[in-house]
Formats: sequence, structure tokens, C-alpha cells
Amino acid sequence: MTIRDPLLTATGIAKTFDRTRALAGAHLELLPGEVHGLLGANGAGKSTLSKVITGHVIPDEGQLVYRGQPLRLRSTRDALDHGIAIVMQETSLVPDLSVAENIFLPELGRKGAGISYAGLNRRGAELLATLGQEDVLPLDIKVRHLSAAQRQLVEIAKALGVGAELIIFDEPTASLSPIEVDRLFDIMTRLRSGGTGLIFVSHRLEEVFEITDRVTIMREGRTVLASHPTGSLTQAELIRHMVGRDLGGIYNRAPTTAGKLAAPVALEVTGLKSPPLVRDVSFAVHEGEILGLGGLVGAGRSETVEAIFGLRPRSAGTITVGGKIVNPRKPAQAVRAGIGFVAEDRRSQNIVPDLSVKENLLLAHLGAHRGFGLGYRSREKDIDRLLASLGLPADRLLDANMLNFSGGMQQKIIIARWLLLNPKVLILDEPTKGVDIGTRQSIYQLLRDVAAKGVAVVVVSSDFEELIGLSDRIVVISDGASIADLSADLLDEEKLTLLAAPRTSMARNTEMLRNLSTETGGAGFWALLDQDRMICLNLVGNAASADPGFATGDAKPFAETRIPTALKSREPIFVPEADGQRSTMLLPLRTARGHDMGWVGLTLPANARTPSPETIRGRVEALAASL
Amino acid sequence: MTLMTQTAGERTAGAFRKLTGRLEIRMLVLAIVLACVLSLLSPYFLTRSNIFNILDQSVVVGIVAVGMTFVILTGGIDLSVGSIAGLTGIILGLAVQNYPLPVAITLAVASGAGIGLISGLLIAYFSLAPFVVTLGMMAIGRSLAYILSGQTAISNIPSGMSDLVYTDILGLPANVLLLCVLYLAAWGYLTYTKGGRTIYAVGSNKEAARAAGLPVFFYSVLPYVVSGALAAVAVTISIAQLLSADPLMGNALELDAIAAVVIGGASLFGGRGSIIGTLIGVLIMVMIRNGLNLIGVSPFWQGSAIGSIIIAALLIESIVSRRVGR
Repeated sequence: MTIRDPLLTATGIAKTFDRTRALAGAHLELLPGEVHGLLGANGAGKSTLSKVITGHVIPDEGQLVYRGQPLRLRSTRDALDHGIAIVMQETSLVPDLSVAENIFLPELGRKGAGISYAGLNRRGAELLATLGQEDVLPLDIKVRHLSAAQRQLVEIAKALGVGAELIIFDEPTASLSPIEVDRLFDIMTRLRSGGTGLIFVSHRLEEVFEITDRVTIMREGRTVLASHPTGSLTQAELIRHMVGRDLGGIYNRAPTTAGKLAAPVALEVTGLKSPPLVRDVSFAVHEGEILGLGGLVGAGRSETVEAIFGLRPRSAGTITVGGKIVNPRKPAQAVRAGIGFVAEDRRSQNIVPDLSVKENLLLAHLGAHRGFGLGYRSREKDIDRLLASLGLPADRLLDANMLNFSGGMQQKIIIARWLLLNPKVLILDEPTKGVDIGTRQSIYQLLRDVAAKGVAVVVVSSDFEELIGLSDRIVVISDGASIADLSADLLDEEKLTLLAAPRTSMARNTEMLRNLSTETGGAGFWALLDQDRMICLNLVGNAASADPGFATGDAKPFAETRIPTALKSREPIFVPEADGQRSTMLLPLRTARGHDMGWVGLTLPANARTPSPETIRGRVEALAASL
Repeated sequence: MTLMTQTAGERTAGAFRKLTGRLEIRMLVLAIVLACVLSLLSPYFLTRSNIFNILDQSVVVGIVAVGMTFVILTGGIDLSVGSIAGLTGIILGLAVQNYPLPVAITLAVASGAGIGLISGLLIAYFSLAPFVVTLGMMAIGRSLAYILSGQTAISNIPSGMSDLVYTDILGLPANVLLLCVLYLAAWGYLTYTKGGRTIYAVGSNKEAARAAGLPVFFYSVLPYVVSGALAAVAVTISIAQLLSADPLMGNALELDAIAAVVIGGASLFGGRGSIIGTLIGVLIMVMIRNGLNLIGVSPFWQGSAIGSIIIAALLIESIVSRRVGR
């Protein structure tokens, strides 16, 4: 690496809001052509520092030096003029303008009348081409119709449109699926090699290791680790710097006991349908169990739990709670049946900002309360007990505004809101979104304690690591249908990602398996293989003589299938079983980018004519290249 | 996440800040300042009889403002109250010719509530904009008032009706006492009942209220029913004072009521506001009008004066509240 002059240096930045010191000596050095991770727990000052650099916030003290010149920003406009832009979590796009208009929105604020739409479209197409995304985004569509990932792309193009040389990405992956994250990282890599300086603000440590060159870690408004090469840090060191102490095992999972599955079923959902996103979802949760609903963003997980809670109309399916059929058409009915629900978006779906913290805590009580008055007093004892168990100081209950609390604290209060009603089932949608890593642990512990008391807990999370770490069992939802139901012990992030893969690649996969099976009279399958266990992702072919002994969604030890020898040897040729009934060939499935996608297998009955392994290998490789 | 520790001085400052942080208190200060200025301009302003005058003049707009507070707290608005007052006044005037007074009043109040129910259902069930629905009701109400009355005032109201207003109870005229009882009841309802807190929750964040299992639909409709019924109660008081029912009654009443609620600190987006604030807002409005009359400002200039004072009050309020910090 050649020595480069820094693009931006921030030294001794301090900022006090009202009585809260948000920044007290923050430092940051960014080189051109690097991705610089900015890390810290919630409230550490990452956002405020980002806002100082982009001119949203004017610091009380400290200097910014940009390309060797002192920089004084009076507004965001100023920052944009210098080529400093930010891509925020909540986008600043105008939903009713087109993609092209949004990309060039900053120019509309400049002098001069008249817009050349042809010019906008041409230059917009050029910008998308530099990002390698020219085919992904039509320029004339309204932003309202775009997905979260597409909107983000527009934001990035908008930053490039003003000639940005420094772009801050504030939690850019929060609402992206793993595949979209890959694409974003491609874009960031391109920008980096073009010499742009990128600041990457994130909670997700795996991503920090994957994309950043150096990291700066903040705690309580100060920089505690400055510009450290990412490669020379371990995850444990990173966490220690962020929270100022060792964190131990975050998930601290008790081994799944078979006893949980023996407990009575608390909630059972069969054939749930709620168009357009939920097509066919079935699952059951036992008392005392934590069930994770996994899948990609947009697969219909949030919509599923909203439909169960009566927030969305259902067109088919039954829901039973404690053995009794419930048919909630509005949340109040679901609550009466014993369901509690912590919705995904705290600000818009959970918090009532004009009510005090105490009233927010008592909101579900108020809904369930029968009578003219408030009945708050009858809950005083429960509240005290709950607060003590949550580690929340009782005096903070009287605070007027819940929005002043940290995300983790807000979430605990929302969870406590439901615990007050002693629900049979507690459903949480993205319970740790916007919650810092230190507080996450206490939320996991809380949920585990809740489950230990016999409550059935259902968790939706896009963070697969969290989902696997927290849940006893995981139901995977893909394209609005539940496609697998597996113990969390069997899964890791890669396997879950594969199971959750969207329909398009699954459809191609199914088509190939069907062709193989009809041509040979055997059974084609797609599976994940462990040391001695397998998970079947897809099985096509119904000849009993070729039945490999498992079905789609099954997880079994090799020994319990009918093809243990083949599964153990994993040969690209037909391996006969000891009983002489079947022979099976297995091929690894690897994408062009080198991702391990499991194995494709073909099982043939003993009497079948054996096709050439080479032609089958050709088919599988062609499919892999298209994934 | 405050890094500093509190000193005794800061705590007093904190208490002061808490006090001035409440908008009602700031508006109360404004009302007192206004009273002082007006009493300097006119020696008659602070006499006992004028104070009763002010209270008397506060009754009609005050009653309507209670209903308006309910509506505005849910994030809605009710432009139809003036017309509902006009229409239900005519209904009362006609009914009282044939039926006993209590029956006639009940009929008028029920009609007001019924019109409010229709508006409320249209707004809550079909998610129509409250502004548009009540604007339509405003036009319909006024037009029906003219049709039912035959475009003339009904003046043969039984004179016994004025007892409703001019009987003294506990040293207060009955209408002022009614106002006091109404505000006390509304304050108690909004502060200490499930319904009242639900109204706040619905206005502050409807989605969260629904997800918490609160009966959002019912409490989105109820405020319009209350508002319509109270418009009829207000016009009953008016008719008792004038012994005449005119189809023009309650003209522009909605504007005075909305102004009073907003001066009292309510947010037009809902969720924020209080019944005590509304009472102060009503008193400020009435004092200004009364004071301007006393110092002999021409009625044609009074509109400009009241408008300017309202805007100035909100302007000062916004500057002060920005400084105090929300």
C-alpha cells in the first residue's frame, strides 16, 4: 500500500445537545479508496459524528480537515458542494418522483430553470453503469414502487450525481437480504477502487470484517480505537472495545431438550393465507419453546405474524391458541386469546410518543382492561416486579418522552407491555433492530426467561446468526410458504441462507431435478450434508423403488436414510448401497462466486439403466453457473 | 445519558423548566398579562360585572371547544359544529312549539350527535379526510337549517326557557355552572378513563394503539358524536338567552372553537393538548373580544385585531417553546 494523504481528518470533535454530551473527543481519519468501519454501541456517537461530517450538526469543538484544507460546514448543502454525502437508513427520497429525478434532486436546488429529461436519463444510466447496476433499475419508475434495496441504490447514485468523493453508509444493510448485501458490497468495492472514501456504520460485525479495511470504534462519545486495520482484530477484541468489557457467549443457549417438544402446543397455525405475500404457512409452537421464523426480507414473515395477530386480513387457514380455534379480525381479539405482539417498527407501530413511559408500558393493559376507569393501580405491583426483573430504574417510568430512551430500553418497555398481560404466546418481529450489541444480550436473556416460564415465543429475525442462536427450532418461510421446520442445532447461517433462497433459483433447481428424474426414472434431490447428518432442501421424483428415504424439509442422520453409503462417500459416480436396492451419485453445487450451495444427488433403482455421470455433471454445472 | 450531576440550583432550574415546559402554564401567563393590559386600558374590565360578562360570553364557544378538543386530540378536525348548531337550533325551535322543553332539547342534542355519528363513521370506516367530510357536513347542515326554518328566525320560544341560563345556583348563573361542570367532567374523562387515554393514544399513534389492542375504531368515531351533541347543547344555551332561533346561528363558531383549542396548546396532528389548555384558550379569545369592545374598537377592525393576536400568541409560543426545548 502506498502512503496516501488522508481525505478527511476529524480531530477532537465535541458536541453537547441540551444536557446530553453526544460527542466528547471523537477522532476519525479516512483515506481515499478505503472502506472505513465506524463502530460503537447505540448512543456511542457514531450517528452524531456522521452528521457532523455531513453538515447536519455543527460541532461545539474540534476540526475537520478535508483534502488538506480546514473545513467548516454550515449546512448539508455545504457538505454536498464539497462532495460529502450520506446514504441513510431511512432514505431521503421523494416517493412520487421518478428514479432519475431523485438521483438529480440536488441539482433542482441549484440556479437555472428547466430540466432536460433526456439529459437526466442519459446521465442517470451512466451513473448506474459505473455502479455495475444498469439493468437493475428503470429510471422512469416512481421511487414509491421500489424495494428498500433499490431505494438505497438510488441514494448511492444520487451521491455520485453530486460528485461525492466521501460517502457515509449509515447502517446500509439493516433491511437487506443476504443477496442484496452481496450486491451492495460489490458496489462499495467498485467505489473504493475508484478512489472514493467510504465510511461504513454498522452493527453487524461479520459485515465489518468482510468489507472494511480499517475500523474506528467509539464509546460514550469518544474514539476508543482509531483507524485500526480490520484484519488484525478478532471479533472478540472488537466487541470488547465497543462495550468496554468482555461479553462472553452472547446467546448462551441452553441445549434444546426433547422435553420442550413434549410440552403442549401453545399456538398452531395451519394453511395460513393472506394475499399477496402469505400463501401457505403452517407451524406449531410449544409452551416454553422459542420458535424462529427465518427467511429473506420480503418472504412474508412479518406479514405472517401480522396476519396471525389480526393486523392483516386472512383468506384461509386456522389459528389455534391452547387448543382453541381463534379467528382474530383485529388485534384486540388476538390479545384476548392470549397473544402478545411486538411489531417490527418501534417508532411507528409500538411507541405512542405523546403518552408517558408509564402509559406506554400500560398500553396493552388499557386495551385489555374492562371498565370505565384506567385500572392502573391494580397493576402497580406487577409493574414493580417487572421493572426489577428487567433492570429498569423505576423513576424513569415517569419520563415524559419515551423517544429519549435508547433503542434497547424502548424495546424492553414494549416487551414488558405484553408481559404484564401474562400472554400464552409472545410474537416478536425483529426484536433487536436498532438495539446495540450490549443490550441485545439482555433481550435474548429476557426472551429465554419468558420462555422458561412456559410462554411460547415466536421470533422473526433477518439476522440469521441471532435466529439460530436464540431459537430452539426454526421454520423457514420462502415466498410466502413455510418450507422447512428444523431444530436450530442442525442449522448454521449458510444452511439457513440456502433454505431461504428465493423461489426463482429454487424453481430452476426443481426443473433440473425433474428433468433428471423423468429421464432416468430415479429421484433427484438437493441436500446439505454434515459429518453424518443431512437436510433435504428439495426432492423430486416419486418412484418408490428410488425413494432415498427422506422428503423435502427433512433432517436425518445418514443411517436413517436408505442411501447411507452414498451419502458418506459423496462420489460423483453411482455408488450402490449395501442392500443392492439403489445406487446414488452426488455432486457439489458451487456458484460462480464460489458459494457452497450444498449437494445435488440422483438416486436410481437397482434395475435402472445408468446414465453417464458426465452428462449429469454438465447439467449441474450449468445450473450452478446460473445461480 | 446525562454525564453531569445535578446541583441544587440546577434542580430549581429543572423545576422551573418543567413548569414553563408546560404549554398550558405559559398560556395562562399570557392570559394574565392580557387581563392586566386590558384592565389598564379600560378601568371597567376587571369589575365584577364584566368578569361575569366574560364568563357568560365564554359559555357557547367554551362548550363547542370541548367537543373540538376531543376531535383534535384524535388528529381530526370538525368544521361542521357551527352548522350543526344552526340546524339543531332550528330543530329545537320547531320542536318546542309542540313538545315539552326537555323533549325538544333531547331531540336537538340527539340530532347533533347523529350528524356527528355520520361524520365519524365516514371518517373512521372509509378513511376519508376529516377536513373534507366535515366541510361537506357544514354545507349540508347550514342548508337544512335554512330549509327547515323557512329562512326566517323562530321567535316564539317560551320565555320560561331563559330560566336555563339566568337561574343562579351556588352564586353562579346556571350556564356558567354548566360550563364548569362540563370542563370538570371532560378533564376527568380525558385524564382518568380508558376512553380518554385511548383518544390520546389514537391521536398520537393510531397504528400502535391498534396493535396494543385498543378499540381504535370506537374512539375515532366517538369524538365527532360528542362534538355534534355539544354543538346542540351550545345552541340551546344561545336560544335560551335570545329566546329566538335563527338559521344563521353558530356561523363561524367552528373557527372560534378551533382557535381556542389551538391557543390552548393542542397539536392539529393529534395526541397533544389538554382540556385545561382549551379553557384558557377560550378565555383568551373572549377576553380579547370583550376588551376590544370596551375600549371602543370598531367591529370591523376587531377581526384583524383578534387574528393578529392569535398569530402573535402562537408565534411567541413557538419561539419560547423552541428555547425551552420540548
